[in-house]
Amino acid sequence: MSIDAREVSESPSEEGGGHFQPPEVLDAQHRLGVWLFIGGDIIIVAALLFTYLYLRGVNTSGHWMSLVGYKGHSYAYYQNIATGSVGLPAPKLIHIGPMSAGMEWLIAAVTVVSGAIVWQAERALRATKNAKAYSTMAAVATVVVLVAIVLTIIQLRSIPEVFVATNDSQGMAYTAYDSAFLALAGSGLFHLVVLTFLGLGLTIRSSKGLINGERWFQARLVRFFWVWIAASSVIVAAVTTTINTIH
Amino acid sequence: MTTTLEHPVTAAIPQGGGLARRQNYATGVAAGVIFAYLFWLISHMTLDSTGRPFGDQVATFTCVGWMIGFWIGIGAFNGPFRWLLGRDHTHEDDLYYAGQNMGKARYWKFTTDHKVVGVQYIVVVMSLLGVGGMLAMAMRTNLITPGNHFINQQIYNSFIAIHGMVMILALIVVIAGPWGNFVMPIMLGARDMAFPRLNALSLWTLVSAATLLVGTLAVGGLPVGWVVLDPISDQAGVGMDFFAMAILVFAVSTTVASVNNLVTIFTMRTKGMTLERLPIFVWGIVFTAILGLYAFPFFIVAETLQLLDRTSFTSFFVSTGGGTGWLQANLFWLMGHPEVYVILLPAVGALLEIAAVMSRKPVFSYRTAVGAIAALSGLSALVWAHHMFTSGWAPTLGGPFMLTTELISIPTGVFFLVLIGTLWRGHIWMKLPTIWMFGFMANFVIGGITGIYLSDIPLDDQLHGTMFVTAHFHYIFVGSVLFGAIAALAFWFPKVTGRFLSESLGRVSFWLVFVGVQITFLAMFISGLKGMPRRVASYSILFEHTNFASTIGAYIIMSGMIVLLVAIITSWNKGEPAGPNPWGANSLEWMVPTPPPLENFTVQPVVTEDPYNFDKEVVRS
Repeated sequence: MSIDAREVSESPSEEGGGHFQPPEVLDAQHRLGVWLFIGGDIIIVAALLFTYLYLRGVNTSGHWMSLVGYKGHSYAYYQNIATGSVGLPAPKLIHIGPMSAGMEWLIAAVTVVSGAIVWQAERALRATKNAKAYSTMAAVATVVVLVAIVLTIIQLRSIPEVFVATNDSQGMAYTAYDSAFLALAGSGLFHLVVLTFLGLGLTIRSSKGLINGERWFQARLVRFFWVWIAASSVIVAAVTTTINTIH
Repeated sequence: MTTTLEHPVTAAIPQGGGLARRQNYATGVAAGVIFAYLFWLISHMTLDSTGRPFGDQVATFTCVGWMIGFWIGIGAFNGPFRWLLGRDHTHEDDLYYAGQNMGKARYWKFTTDHKVVGVQYIVVVMSLLGVGGMLAMAMRTNLITPGNHFINQQIYNSFIAIHGMVMILALIVVIAGPWGNFVMPIMLGARDMAFPRLNALSLWTLVSAATLLVGTLAVGGLPVGWVVLDPISDQAGVGMDFFAMAILVFAVSTTVASVNNLVTIFTMRTKGMTLERLPIFVWGIVFTAILGLYAFPFFIVAETLQLLDRTSFTSFFVSTGGGTGWLQANLFWLMGHPEVYVILLPAVGALLEIAAVMSRKPVFSYRTAVGAIAALSGLSALVWAHHMFTSGWAPTLGGPFMLTTELISIPTGVFFLVLIGTLWRGHIWMKLPTIWMFGFMANFVIGGITGIYLSDIPLDDQLHGTMFVTAHFHYIFVGSVLFGAIAALAFWFPKVTGRFLSESLGRVSFWLVFVGVQITFLAMFISGLKGMPRRVASYSILFEHTNFASTIGAYIIMSGMIVLLVAIITSWNKGEPAGPNPWGANSLEWMVPTPPPLENFTVQPVVTEDPYNFDKEVVRS
């Protein structure tokens, strides 16, 4: 059946075809891919910020930042009191203020510093072709990210949960503010863990010569993502430190 | 110029490779079960067992264990860790993972070849449709008479949720999965998807998520409806944790697939394949991917927050802690309505493709068609709140959302006109794909017009939560999308198997399913108009006759689907031989041998014309 309306070139296919692409082809593909992944990630962060602002806006039952309850013991401690003959201790109003702005900005600053190191390392690699120096700087950036991870864990552990007893139920709870903050900080932690993986990869691969002065496209791809994470940490810090209480 | 693209790339079967080369579906399941048990054990040993969330925490950790174990077991993490360690795949490795010379074993492995992934999607979709269909038949059997107790009411409620979500999952990938993988890269002149390992990852994350979703039935079910709105979902048992984890992972799978599709389309087109020469099916995939990339991150957030509420004392959707169920409703429907178009747009693209080829005419007003698909995609992101008209959320926004919902009927109508315009005065070849396409057109009119009724707030106030709504979206999902998917299956089946899908069995199946759909869902419209609520296991005698009719219709649909399954199985190996280009089409997938070789082309094609420049005198055998 003669149906073709096309021409074909007579040049043989690239060896290995689509499963083994040259770096310049991979670069173009991966660059678009990274930008699209960043686009999806922007929507996730935007949805979490929407959650934060929406819960603050509705301030259901006035519980954006306050709950009547207790804090300081395990859930089991309060559960025993609630179900035992002793009865519930008198509830008291727990005022939960905004999380430490200093800590938030410190985490953002550390993340930004790590991003700046990676960016500077890439520029130096392209200028000097010194893969060893790049490997060292990538390792330093990874260590800085680990510092940010530790700070984030400290921050997450400081979010207060309280024991709440109502007429028909009792249980531990985070306020809406604490919940939304926890989600944002948790998302930040997840991103930092991903950065650690990528930073380690950059360090190992450049030390093995797989990333070098001639072949640096993966360093640039990781840098795109790294810079976005640094920017998102600043955005989150800015929103959560300037818009938090109900006026 | 006629070309024959033969001599596929051949090389010796790679030897060695150790454990990584022995991984397959069985090792994935085994590792998944082992990890699930380990996570279950560790969570029992470390978590505070006195609180209500303990069960939810254990269930969630167990699900995480299953996922991680399955992915490790099947080999999904091999690539990233080899990248981390600087041990990149060699060319031989890549060919091995693409399934070269591996025979049928490659269908059970983390194979990267897009054609293998396409076939894997066909099997997964058919399995999901089978599970969802059986649940539907159980529910319809229960509804055959008022007060019937064929199944327990709690189980019935769980069946509703699982049927709904299994079918949604199946329909999201029913066209984009098999054909977006098998034929789309070849249509572009590409040798594979841009990210072959991510492609396999999307498929196997879907498999792991679907396993959890169906597994929900084994851990107490999910008697809260498929949209799992709060606060009722917060009161559900551990089945809700399985469900949320499954949907979370599925959303990740779809997001990854969307990125892969877009990168493939925009960076891997062969020389001469300009955007105006893209087969229209590819445009359907483009806007599906854009919509998926926009919508599914909301799903990821919604399900993550739901899991946090259930396991970590947070108050996102729980009002006693300062949360609100409306937040969950918004996040869910921000994904939920675009998702309808993620389901529909691939069918739109496939049907325009089929219409052009089977009528031997160019797509009528190609640019208008692309514009209509783009408008459908864009507007679908602005209509989510019409699902919440009766919920009391933001009544002042009712008017704008009613307007945007009604506006979406314009590009829908344009698409329909393009479809009719393409067929108008064409030399229509009434083969199986064409017949199913006409079935789509008939059903889509009914499903679409009843949707306009529901977009009007005064009427929606009356019909919301009734069987009318159920009938409406089943006309879209079953009557339209499923018909479109079967048309696509019949159209591209010869490219996968080298054989036609049985014409006689296919026609029998068509008439059974078509008649069954009318009986089932027209009767359901009447039930709804008379006031029968949806999601009920028992009903008043007022609705007896229409429910009886719906159940009989459902059995007819089931008969038709069984005939179709028989047709697929028998035709796969023993069907009438089709040759490489049985429809006389011009797009690139028909220019390669059947089945297409690994890496598709031995010489890189150069495209010089659009794919719809047909020779009307072609001989049709």
